[in-house]
Amino acid sequence: MNELRNLQLSFLHYLLRQPSDMVEHIESTPAMSASDRLDIYGSAYNLRLKEAITTDYDKLHGYLGDEQFDQLMDCYIEKYPSHTTNLRYFSINMPDLLQEQAPFNQFPVLAELARIEFAFANSFDAESTDVSTIDDLATIAPEQWGTLTFEFQKSVELLSINTNSFAIWKALSNEETPPEAEQLDHPVKWVIWRRADLVSHYRPISLAEAQTMQLAMQGKNFAELCEALLDFYSEEETPLKAITFLQSWIQDEQLSALG
Amino acid sequence: MSRPFLGFGLGLRTEHYQHVIEHKPQVDWFEIISENYMVPGGKPLANLDKIREDYPMVMHGVSMSIGSTDPLNTKYLQNLKQLIARVEPHWISDHLCWTSVDHTNSHDLLPLPYNEATIQHIVDRISQVQDFLGRRMLIENLSSYVSYKNSDMPEWEFFNEIAKRADCHLLLDINNIFVSANNHHFKERDYVDGIDSDRVMQFHLAGHSYNGEMIIDTHDHDVCDPVWELYEYALQRFGAVSTMIERDDNIPEFAELRQELTLAEKIAANTLTPEQLKITANHLMQGAA
Repeated sequence: MNELRNLQLSFLHYLLRQPSDMVEHIESTPAMSASDRLDIYGSAYNLRLKEAITTDYDKLHGYLGDEQFDQLMDCYIEKYPSHTTNLRYFSINMPDLLQEQAPFNQFPVLAELARIEFAFANSFDAESTDVSTIDDLATIAPEQWGTLTFEFQKSVELLSINTNSFAIWKALSNEETPPEAEQLDHPVKWVIWRRADLVSHYRPISLAEAQTMQLAMQGKNFAELCEALLDFYSEEETPLKAITFLQSWIQDEQLSALG
Repeated sequence: MSRPFLGFGLGLRTEHYQHVIEHKPQVDWFEIISENYMVPGGKPLANLDKIREDYPMVMHGVSMSIGSTDPLNTKYLQNLKQLIARVEPHWISDHLCWTSVDHTNSHDLLPLPYNEATIQHIVDRISQVQDFLGRRMLIENLSSYVSYKNSDMPEWEFFNEIAKRADCHLLLDINNIFVSANNHHFKERDYVDGIDSDRVMQFHLAGHSYNGEMIIDTHDHDVCDPVWELYEYALQRFGAVSTMIERDDNIPEFAELRQELTLAEKIAANTLTPEQLKITANHLMQGAA
């Protein structure tokens, strides 16, 4: 199988625009050279991957415009050859590339826009689970509350945003002119998730709620969540605040199990 | 061989989900692209489940990479097996090609050299896949734009020999025969004549585009007249074969695509007897292949 393996590696290197002797393995015809025939595959490779990226980062595309988005896609395709069988997951490293690679990393709004689009894509097809209800909460015995833990359904994702990227994302979604990018004074937390009706939702949440949610996601129990909330509220206010957060997570269908 | 006949189907596309769910249009069956549903959950799988309640389905994959010299991708095969358990398709298919090597995916259907060494390599791999899945699979002929210097037999001979030795079935893409016949200068009817009728389980029909000397398999146009003629010829040779139209780009309204499918039904009705065209499998049956 060495002959076939070498042929396939040469073909791959040709597609990746690396040194390759692939042309030598291909028949030319009077009307078309081996190289022109191979180029059909070379062009298709780029087009297909660009189509996948464009589908996944529609708003980022709108924000950057065709030319710069095309440069970004070329950069991505070169840096991240596909190791997935499913094109759906080809572009998952885009937020990282935008955060790390010059000149894109000079504009933090770009990586954030990509993170927002990526989170929505994940919420779209994350694993479906049952959701906890207020009735489930009512069955918790008083002595169980202290050790109560919470499981979030798979589509719930917390984002920490340092620019007005969400406002830009919203404007682009509504096909309006986006505002100028600007840095925020303080990071803002957003939660993105999918409800049982299969529609994705998003809302900004306070730092106190975000921290509580994060700790709950890590498996901390209700008593530990209340303790952490003392950084934000008085001892009297804390239990009520924790219950309020819990109720909103349940109403939003974000919790999948109480344990 | 008594070949199960599903009738006339279409490729299920996201653009048509709502129409299909709301109107339940008359189509004998749908073919799904397996990879589109190899996701954890959410809308794609919910829509799939809903539509599956009303229609028979077959599964068509693009990433098995049966011709690759990498080891078989066991994670992919496990996911495929899970999806098979969910969909209960009449059969599953993938392409006689390779898509990845060195764990890097081209996301394209790349051709193989047609020679004995490749045949043996692929026969071994199809056997492994069929053992793992516990069922036979269909392999489909490609459209291709290059031919290798180390090929030493016609494509149909290669295709047939693999099916015979691996004991698998064939998905014959009529458009791909037409496209490759143009691109590699053979007679499309020689291809059809060279295929072992007992192995053929399904037909694909699709449109294509011209790019200078080459025809490209773009699936973005209606099926053209010469492909309809070749379809008629294939029906004469093979009898009733479950037939569907693939459309992947420039996708029209569902009604327009359904209308195009009536052409396939009419050609079959003019070529074969009602007895031959009796549907022998419905959505309650599964695993015909």
